[in-house]
Amino acid sequence: MNTPNLDLEITPRKVPVTILTGFLGSGKTTLLNRILSEEHGKRIAVIENEYGEVGIDQALVIDADEEIFEMSNGCICCTVRGDLIRVLGNLMKRRDKFDYVLVETTGLADPGPVAQTFFMDDEIREEFSLDGIVTLVDAAHIEQQLGRSDESTEQIAFADVLVLNKTDLVNGEALDRLEARLRDMNRMAQVVRSERANVSVDTVLNLAAFDLDQVLERRPTFLESEYPFEWTGVYSLHIGRYELSLADGPDPAMSLVVVSDQGMDEAALREGAEWCVRRYAEPAELIRPGEEIPVGKHVNLRLDSPGRKSFFLEVDTQVRVGLYAQHTAEEFDLQLTNADGATIRQEVERTWVAQHEHDDEVGSISIERDGDVDPDRLNAWLGKLLSERGVDIFRMKGFISLAGESRRFVFQGVHMLFDGQPDQPWGDAPRRNHLVFIGRNLDEQSMWQGFEACLI
Amino acid sequence: MSDLNVGSSKGALRRGWSAAVGDYAIAGGWCLRGEALMVCDAEGSVYAFDGKSGATVWERRGVHEGGVLAVAIHPSGTAFATAGQDRRVLIWSAAEGQVSRAIDVGSGWVENVAWSPDGQWLAASCSRQVHAYGADGAEVWRSDDHPSTVSAIAWSSVGELATACYGRVTFFDASTGELRQKLEWKGSLVSMVLSSDGDIVACGSQDNSVHFWRRSTEQDSMMSGYPAKPSALAFDDTGTLLATGGGEAVTVWSFQGSGPEGTRPGVLELHVQPVTTLAFARRAMRLASGGRDGAVVVWSLQRDGEGGPIGDAVVAGVVAELYWRPDGRSLAALDARGGVTVWRIG
Repeated sequence: MNTPNLDLEITPRKVPVTILTGFLGSGKTTLLNRILSEEHGKRIAVIENEYGEVGIDQALVIDADEEIFEMSNGCICCTVRGDLIRVLGNLMKRRDKFDYVLVETTGLADPGPVAQTFFMDDEIREEFSLDGIVTLVDAAHIEQQLGRSDESTEQIAFADVLVLNKTDLVNGEALDRLEARLRDMNRMAQVVRSERANVSVDTVLNLAAFDLDQVLERRPTFLESEYPFEWTGVYSLHIGRYELSLADGPDPAMSLVVVSDQGMDEAALREGAEWCVRRYAEPAELIRPGEEIPVGKHVNLRLDSPGRKSFFLEVDTQVRVGLYAQHTAEEFDLQLTNADGATIRQEVERTWVAQHEHDDEVGSISIERDGDVDPDRLNAWLGKLLSERGVDIFRMKGFISLAGESRRFVFQGVHMLFDGQPDQPWGDAPRRNHLVFIGRNLDEQSMWQGFEACLI
Repeated sequence: MSDLNVGSSKGALRRGWSAAVGDYAIAGGWCLRGEALMVCDAEGSVYAFDGKSGATVWERRGVHEGGVLAVAIHPSGTAFATAGQDRRVLIWSAAEGQVSRAIDVGSGWVENVAWSPDGQWLAASCSRQVHAYGADGAEVWRSDDHPSTVSAIAWSSVGELATACYGRVTFFDASTGELRQKLEWKGSLVSMVLSSDGDIVACGSQDNSVHFWRRSTEQDSMMSGYPAKPSALAFDDTGTLLATGGGEAVTVWSFQGSGPEGTRPGVLELHVQPVTTLAFARRAMRLASGGRDGAVVVWSLQRDGEGGPIGDAVVAGVVAELYWRPDGRSLAALDARGGVTVWRIG
């Protein structure tokens, strides 16, 4: 054979795959037809688990029954979709390869095995990349579906894009409420509204949602951080004894941290917030009415007796203090008065996006912290978290500042599968960490504390 | 394998001829006592090459729309069957390239096809069912739905067909389709081979293990620890040696004595990328292996599974299939770039 050595050829780009999920009637087939009929000049293969009326000439449509293959070891993250391995394995043999693959799952599909197939099977991983998971939501029926089935909850939890479809059938207020609920469950996803799945193709294709190089480029901070407190007030105080009083409010107790030398600009408030997050991760000291509040400590004010309750704050130098409170001042009619009984007004106040009780079992947890992380402690914490709770963690994404590493470490994962690598150098940027977990019944407090313990 | 260039060969592999087909060379085989080599590709075309010179004897382009998925040569060597994404099986005369029978099998891809050892039956699988046809192509029976798509089929004897799928191997009576035996195991079985006496059935599994059963004693064992999915398996025709892929090494288990349980397998190392296909020569302890790296190696083995290379070569693409000519004096390799390479064995 006289052919030259052909192996110098550049490795071809992996073929991107988009997963379309959503309950029956949510509009998957409509969206699929829309994507296919658009002029994009691409060769698209469609793998359909739910045989619909996809009928577009330029696409190859393959009907395949959903086949979930569990392994004998019982490991949930090893569960893959046999039909995809089989069909994709054959498609990739053709010389005129497809530019794009769309997989339309059944309404009841669990997205976990679908996503895992692209990480667990070596041959598939070599030729294809999972581009993103798009979940269609029938705005008129999703509330009922969420109450009845785990699958619809999981489809929302796994999504990179949530298409809130059939919005014409629901009034504006209900729609806003629904969107807020979906965002609560999955804070990583983009939410797009549509009437007849008429979303722009760009919002669902080429998301590179699993590509670590691109995850952060597109959305440098995937979401606004949540804090364990809702309100900060900054007060200028002289030497003396002050009374902090609270009226009856919604809770029998309230957490608080008092910060001394508090600045008043946004940077100083954020810095204070960061510092308080660490304090909030520590166990709270119980303070009863009439007792003194220590500065710089996480305290829990007991408010279960009726009427106005007073606590005291001793100041031995002229100072500006920040009160970082679990609830807003309004909720308990929080007042600060000096020894003469004069009310001290705050000079600055700020409210924070607070972590709140989630109604759904499935929710998102965001951990955002400044500083460096000890790699060994992080490994131990994540390893334990994933082995104990991996079944309940659907997706995770984020970046970490590892001590001794000049580059940002980015990661993402599905259940116990974890994929991470260093990416761009930190340079002059402040070193910080941002982790997002989407899962079922995750204990926010213990995850915050767990991560806190990894910080140096 | 850095000292080898594409197209070169050494040792027992002596340059014969090479040819090209239009797309990924999926499967084929030797016909007419080694006088012709059939090759089918991902474009759905079927080619017949002269066994000695490599000249094209005939070609039929694009007969299976979407591509060919499987090929089975009739034991007589005068006919063969092709199966494809077009849901059909075609039965061909090897000499003339005429389709003697076209069978619409089912509503999905036809992924496996196999002739019984006596050439009386033709089995084909499509989605979750397996169908049995007489030599004339008339359907005799079809199975009920398997738990998943049938991943492999093989004849365990003249009168019995075996199928593999997720979680189980099933045996059917060839003439009635009656279910004779079920061997169950929770795992996705991706490949299957049987010893020539039909007693040992070995399957490669998605979870990087090889599972096998001895049907006479119902004893089963699992060989795990493979770095990759063992989709390539081969039994020598005495039923002594089971060669398995599942990584860069070829692992050979010997069934002599009380083995292979409790014994160490032969580990044949030369490939630098995972092994994709394995083939034993008939009546010889000679194994050919092909890999993702395009390397083809011929190994001489002992009955304990140990052995060493006696020749090697490199082709331009991932090695898809290897076929020994029935007399064992030539070896053909089909590759992912549509290359067909034949060596004489010294």
